[in-house]
Amino acid sequence: MLELCRHAVGAARSLGADYADARVMEIRNQHLATEDQRVSGVHDAESMGIGVRVIVAGAWGFSATSRLTRPDAERAVRQAVEIARSGAAARATRELHWADEPPHVAEYRTPVRKDPFAVPVEDKIGLLLEVNKRALGVKGVTKCYSHMHFRRQHRWLATSEGAAIESDVCTSTACCTATAVNGTTAKQRYLEATPCNIGYEHIEQTPFLEEAERVGAEAVEHLSAKSCPSGQKDLILLPSHLALTMHESIGHATELDRAIGMEESLAGSSFATPDQIGKLKYGSPMMNVVADNTLPVGCASMGFDDDAVECQRYDLVREGMLAGFMCSRDTAHAMDAARSNGSCRADSWGSIPIVRQSNFSLEPGEAPLTLEELIADTKDGILIDGMGSFSIDQKRYNFQFGGDCFWEIKNGKLAGMLKDVTYWAITTDFWGSLDAICDRRFWEPIGVMNCGKGDPMQIAQMSHCTAPARFRQINVGPANR
Amino acid sequence: MDEAQAVEILESLLKHVDADGAEASFHSGARFTARFADNRLTQNVQAENATVSLAVSYGQRHGGASTNDLSPESLKALAERAQAAARVSPPDPEHMPPVTPEEAGEYSQVEAWDEATAALPAGERIEAVCAAMKDVEAAGYRLSGAHTSSAGLHVLMNSAGVRCAHRSTESELHCTALGDHGSGWAQATSVRDADIDTAGVAREALEIARAAQHPTDIEPGRYTVILRPAAVWEMIPFYLVCDAKATDEGRTCLRGKLGTQIVDERVTLRSEPAFAACPGAPFQGDGMASSGLSWIGGGVLKHLCTSRYWARQSKRLATGWPSNLIFDGGEASLEELIASTERGILVTRFWYIRDVDPMESLLTGMTRDGLFLIEDGKISRPLIQLRFNDSVLGCLNRLEAIGQCERVENTYVPALKIRDFNFASKTKF
Ligand SMILES: [Zn+2]
Repeated sequence: MLELCRHAVGAARSLGADYADARVMEIRNQHLATEDQRVSGVHDAESMGIGVRVIVAGAWGFSATSRLTRPDAERAVRQAVEIARSGAAARATRELHWADEPPHVAEYRTPVRKDPFAVPVEDKIGLLLEVNKRALGVKGVTKCYSHMHFRRQHRWLATSEGAAIESDVCTSTACCTATAVNGTTAKQRYLEATPCNIGYEHIEQTPFLEEAERVGAEAVEHLSAKSCPSGQKDLILLPSHLALTMHESIGHATELDRAIGMEESLAGSSFATPDQIGKLKYGSPMMNVVADNTLPVGCASMGFDDDAVECQRYDLVREGMLAGFMCSRDTAHAMDAARSNGSCRADSWGSIPIVRQSNFSLEPGEAPLTLEELIADTKDGILIDGMGSFSIDQKRYNFQFGGDCFWEIKNGKLAGMLKDVTYWAITTDFWGSLDAICDRRFWEPIGVMNCGKGDPMQIAQMSHCTAPARFRQINVGPANR
Repeated sequence: MDEAQAVEILESLLKHVDADGAEASFHSGARFTARFADNRLTQNVQAENATVSLAVSYGQRHGGASTNDLSPESLKALAERAQAAARVSPPDPEHMPPVTPEEAGEYSQVEAWDEATAALPAGERIEAVCAAMKDVEAAGYRLSGAHTSSAGLHVLMNSAGVRCAHRSTESELHCTALGDHGSGWAQATSVRDADIDTAGVAREALEIARAAQHPTDIEPGRYTVILRPAAVWEMIPFYLVCDAKATDEGRTCLRGKLGTQIVDERVTLRSEPAFAACPGAPFQGDGMASSGLSWIGGGVLKHLCTSRYWARQSKRLATGWPSNLIFDGGEASLEELIASTERGILVTRFWYIRDVDPMESLLTGMTRDGLFLIEDGKISRPLIQLRFNDSVLGCLNRLEAIGQCERVENTYVPALKIRDFNFASKTKF
């Protein structure tokens, strides 16, 4: 396949492209879904194709086809060059900057101990049905859905600069959702093997069978939980929940293409702009956010991005101050960076690479601190687990989040479950109220598989890592106030 | 690829199948997008793909697979993969055998194809977009957006003798005009590229942006709102079509409400595959004819989305899922809706709507790209964007007036005037 990529790149150069890259991807997705004691779907999808990206006379062109013969690849090259020329002729392209990167010749492979596609379908289904059975065994649970999803992305990338990269990335996840229904409403609770770049061992290490009954019981308990009081409360957010708040209020806000207006019409822009690096107070001094596409289990880790830039680790927020953005080779200049930090990815062979969120981490606290100690230190608060409702404005200021499960904290102790909890804040106020983070022992990656961005929309995956953390005096209440 | 080639591929695929039941479908598509930001072209992207999917069953055991490698070896492997999955799956009591031609019903004649659009004239699109950007730039504003033209073919064959095909084109443009202190937005969608007035859409976004400069605060609370069609599209129709099984099991906001008045009696929400201004698909993914029916008629919940299995269980019509949604409009123009409002807020569109409590149809979301205060029947000033928390059913029970319709994506929806709409918090721009 690298040969076909090199051939396409050569063809583009001979048609006058100043730069060209060609990327073949073979993507396989396996979904297994169950509802109660039935298998609702087993589907195995594979998709393969080539995408060719060129710069001609300062304008970009991209064309992709699912046909992988040389003549078809050449046709895609001609189309890419042609639409780049149309763009150049219209004299309305923006000035092109293209950050240097050594031409890597390399391979990358997700460390996988057990290939999930080689595990027999009946074994996977068997586990899902058993999980459902145990959750449904809890009185009051009337519905249980569970599913597994495995993704393999095999990529070959060649550039006119001489880069030649092969990567083979494997992602695994599973989730079980129990629903309890009474006469008036329904409540759900989920248990997840969070998406990670890893093999089936991840599913085996997640205590689905051990925890299924607890998950069912918590769904039932949620039905009769006390409604959320309105007011200001201290929030202790578990990694399973905080990851999404980080994704929305830090991740999207520090995508450089958004920050410079390139995503205005769809995803929006950002309150953070490159001129504020080192000046914008993003949060409290204990807030350190580090992007890391070298983290092996991180869903964005692929060795090299689709700009053929080596994956890196870099700062986004340092001691509460904005420190950087995630970028691509053609946006790095906007923050005066000589080199891209390798955050440019496409969701398939048929999509053009764009700036995507890296894996990133809220660095854990340095002093030893357990979740129990943090709860014991909190007088009047709410503990939130799991992802629920989430919404944020297009500049990433005003957000409102729900969650999957909530417990009141009174005088250092958990004091029963709450329902209808939402909290809302302005991003910088929220991060400014961060006053405690548990230590590295409690730090974990949480994967996101459905991040939408771009136009046409592309769906990307990445991970956000954190330990439980506390935020002081946040507005909470039921949303229908 | 044309229909005949697709049929040939599906026929050769079905030859490899020994399962009791089989359903094979072919989807191909090509699209071109001219994307722009800040008065400059940013991405010109073309892509084509063709995928074959196969679902097979042995009695009640079923499995599926798909591929976009259409070589003979790959089709054979596809059949083997789907059959292998089906063989090891436990019997599914809800599995239904492939649809028969009698059961499928009659397909609507849907005109959704335009040859000129299918040709994806990239150069013309780029020129039109560039001309619009020059106009907006001359006015001192920045234009961002995307114009996507696409063409698709869907062919379906099953072992019970169903064979159907549908091809469609679509052209969609959306533009954001940005000033230093506020933005405006407009869109247009049609089967035909020629219907899209690129300069006109850009001008509409520009006019809204001009009026939106230097917004000022208003305290969150309950206000009468006028939602323009794009705002209605995002907030209303999709939350009113619920799965019948989940609803009957008490897990949706429409539980126990079939046949009852759920919203204002002026509300009718329906599907009509052959609706010219916003055509749907003539058949569903399983080959059943797409229904032309009212989900809500005169404010009464008439139908839930009912699968073939659940139709049999509940002795109701198998409706499948809607491929288009039409919210019947009224006579009032937007200007008339504004003129009839003593005090209210005009919403251009929403952003990032999510469920807060799906059991109560309670949603949250932000306003975006043009929010205005109306006083004494006139727009008095632009407002800082607000977050709402309100329920879809609640809003449609507080309906004041229904305006004229517009196509937005695969819906045809009116502007709506709603009283006591709940804004919960504000942002900073
Ligand atoms: Zn996202």
